Amino acid sequence: MPTHTSFDAHGPDRRALLKSAALGLFAYTVAGIETLLSPAQARAQGARFTVLSDADAALLEAFGEALVPGARAAGIAHFVDANLARPHAASLLTVRYLDVLPPHDAFYRAGLAALDAASQALRGAAFAQLSPAAAKPLIAAMLPGTISPWHGPPPALFYLAVRSDAADLVYGTPAAYARMKVPYMAHIEPPADW
Amino acid sequence: MASQQASGRTDAVIVGAGAAGNLFAAVLAEAGKSVLVLDPGPDWTASDLYSSSIWSRRLRWGGPAIESTGAHAFGAGFNTGWGTGGAALHHYGTWPRLMPSDFTMKSDFGKGLDWPIGYDDLRPYYDRVQDDVGVSGDAAAEIWRPAGAPYPLPPLVQFAQARLLAKGFHALGMKTAPSPMAILSQDYKGRPACLYDGWCDAGCPIGALANPLVTYHPRAIAAGARFVHGAHVTRLLPGKTARLASGVEYVDSTGTTRTALADMVILAASTISNPAILLNSTGGDWHGGAGNSSGLVGRYFMTHSIASVYGFFDDEETENYLGVTGAQATNMDHYGKQSLGGGAFGSLQWQLAPTMKPNDLLGVAMARADMFGADLTAFMARAVHHLAVMFGFGEGLPVLENRVELADRSGPGGTRTPRVVHSFAPESVKVSEMAAQLGLKIITAGGAAAPWSGPMATAHMMGGTIMGTDPRTSVTDSFGYSHDIGNLVIAGPGLFPTAGAMNPNFTNHAVTLRSAEHALARWLS
Ligand SMILES: Cc1cc2nc3c(=O)[nH]c(=O)nc-3n(C[C@H](O)[C@H](O)[C@H](O)COP(=O)(O)OP(=O)(O)OC[C@H]3O[C@@H](n4cnc5c(N)ncnc54)[C@H](O)[C@@H]3O)c2cc1C
Ligand code: SF4
Repeated sequence: MPTHTSFDAHGPDRRALLKSAALGLFAYTVAGIETLLSPAQARAQGARFTVLSDADAALLEAFGEALVPGARAAGIAHFVDANLARPHAASLLTVRYLDVLPPHDAFYRAGLAALDAASQALRGAAFAQLSPAAAKPLIAAMLPGTISPWHGPPPALFYLAVRSDAADLVYGTPAAYARMKVPYMAHIEPPADW
Repeated sequence: MASQQASGRTDAVIVGAGAAGNLFAAVLAEAGKSVLVLDPGPDWTASDLYSSSIWSRRLRWGGPAIESTGAHAFGAGFNTGWGTGGAALHHYGTWPRLMPSDFTMKSDFGKGLDWPIGYDDLRPYYDRVQDDVGVSGDAAAEIWRPAGAPYPLPPLVQFAQARLLAKGFHALGMKTAPSPMAILSQDYKGRPACLYDGWCDAGCPIGALANPLVTYHPRAIAAGARFVHGAHVTRLLPGKTARLASGVEYVDSTGTTRTALADMVILAASTISNPAILLNSTGGDWHGGAGNSSGLVGRYFMTHSIASVYGFFDDEETENYLGVTGAQATNMDHYGKQSLGGGAFGSLQWQLAPTMKPNDLLGVAMARADMFGADLTAFMARAVHHLAVMFGFGEGLPVLENRVELADRSGPGGTRTPRVVHSFAPESVKVSEMAAQLGLKIITAGGAAAPWSGPMATAHMMGGTIMGTDPRTSVTDSFGYSHDIGNLVIAGPGLFPTAGAMNPNFTNHAVTLRSAEHALARWLS
């Protein structure tokens, strides 16, 4: 017998959502007012998170920064949060490519919880408190799947998903291309600077 | 379940607005047939194709989740599309033909399967399709190429990365040739030539790449085919007898269940969705699913392995961000099924110098997925201007146990969602391992520094509704006609009994054109 419902047939019209995204920026709430911002701007202005808790977002920033330096300032937590708030079909997260079954907010939450628990067990401190040197062996054990204890989604998948989110923001934007002296050569400019 | 009928009955209902669906729609509509095309995805237009690896993700399948499992789980999320153009909207346009040996594997080696047709049956269709859509290449330089008309367009421009990688092949006495690409090297039939910016993965909005938006979709529309989006087809509806389908049921974007009645049903909903729809169709006497008297619907799912081989050329700007996402050059010296030796069985095709954007699954940062922190920063600084890559596409043998089946998750209209179960045969794993070893030898011979090979990946999907002559051992005949249901045609690479090592879309087009014209002829007679 079918046990889960994985299709929201009554969800809002997908096309309308895609078009609203095409206006460029994600909607974030800053000081109670909904504003369109890039993830980096949203972070700089302290925009509220919609899906992630503040604690999860702080941990995601710390993990993203440890994977790809620059990800924190680029707004990785706001980027992931804004995409998790959208219907699956409109999400721009790499996790779509990794055959992780939705809902993806549960995937991120469970992965973050597993990371912090592993950090406590192996290093005696929350992940965000670790020095880069202390975090390194822990992170290095994620892709090969040898990290233990680990109670969450497959550690390699979680590592790849967050690493790719971070790489998107640090290396995948027109501004990042310019920094690396790689010509962007857009046919159609992406709607936002990320 | 209460359902509403879509307005009017049509001659044909086509399930899926992708590569095969649009070609079928164009042929039938141009012959005066009334055609309705149903697709769950958006009605994409060129202006939706933003040049961004991040934005391109919304072009991928956005319907009910596809589960993927097995020792070598297939990358379903990356390899599927939806909406106008399907996966072909953002496909890379690498268009080699299959080789004659791909059609006779069982007869030649007692392994795998035979096709019910040979290369010569498809050859005229390859020739016509390449003329229709514009394929660029150098037929003479492709010493491996089977007989066929030369390409209508000269090869695409090559950049430093291709030249540098070719050095290794030449040093070992191997040949390279420009890749055959369904991308325009010159203006062609009102479409402009490629600009070599490497954004093909995000969809080519100028129409240089032969995606359905600029090939058969406009023809289908001009001939009056009607496209309905947000329409997820759930099942085939039985007709007066079990040997006939009366149409399909679908759930529209408001969640309403509807029926579309037609004289003929064409399933072109991708290698995964076609079997899923058939297996969910248990109405009337179709207890084991529609068209499934053989029990083979969903079986023999196949994919290609990818061996990725990387190296640095520190003294050169590799221009790895220029060119096209597919490939600039090819080598097929090891296409012979047994040519790799060492326990490997199956063909190998090299694709050299695809564009690498800094991020994304096939991008520079992912080339060393194990690196992070300061090491990654240093790697990126070196790699964005000096990395080169080549991919070895390996044949996955048809294996009965590899399948599309129904999972225990519920989808639209009370259906069950698909699950893909896939493990390469040991001989196919060997092909990929030997390709990686060979690739390292080649790239080293070409002077690359610090070469490495990445983990085996998968690309393309074939099989699951295979064609054949015997209704007991195949699902359709060579034209895609169901052996069981007289007015049901299945289209797409799901029909392939073997996968070869060639990207499937050119063969998909050749087979689909042959099927569509046969369907018309049968109709008229
Ligand atoms: C990233 C990428 C790169 C590729 N590059 C190449 C390449 O370089 N060369 C090559 O030869 N091939 C390439 N391919 C493969 C090529 O795109 C496919 O072989 C081809 O598109 C298959 O055609 P199709 O009509 O079977 O499926 P599609 O083109 O995918 O069309 C299937 C359509 O069916 C629809 N559908 C699915 N389920 C339902 C349902 N339940 N009801 C109604 N409609 C449904 C989908 O929304 C979709 O629009 C690539 C694919 C991808 C993803
Ligand atoms: S590189 Fe060529 S084919 Fe690819 S998107 Fe650009 S213009 Fe189109």
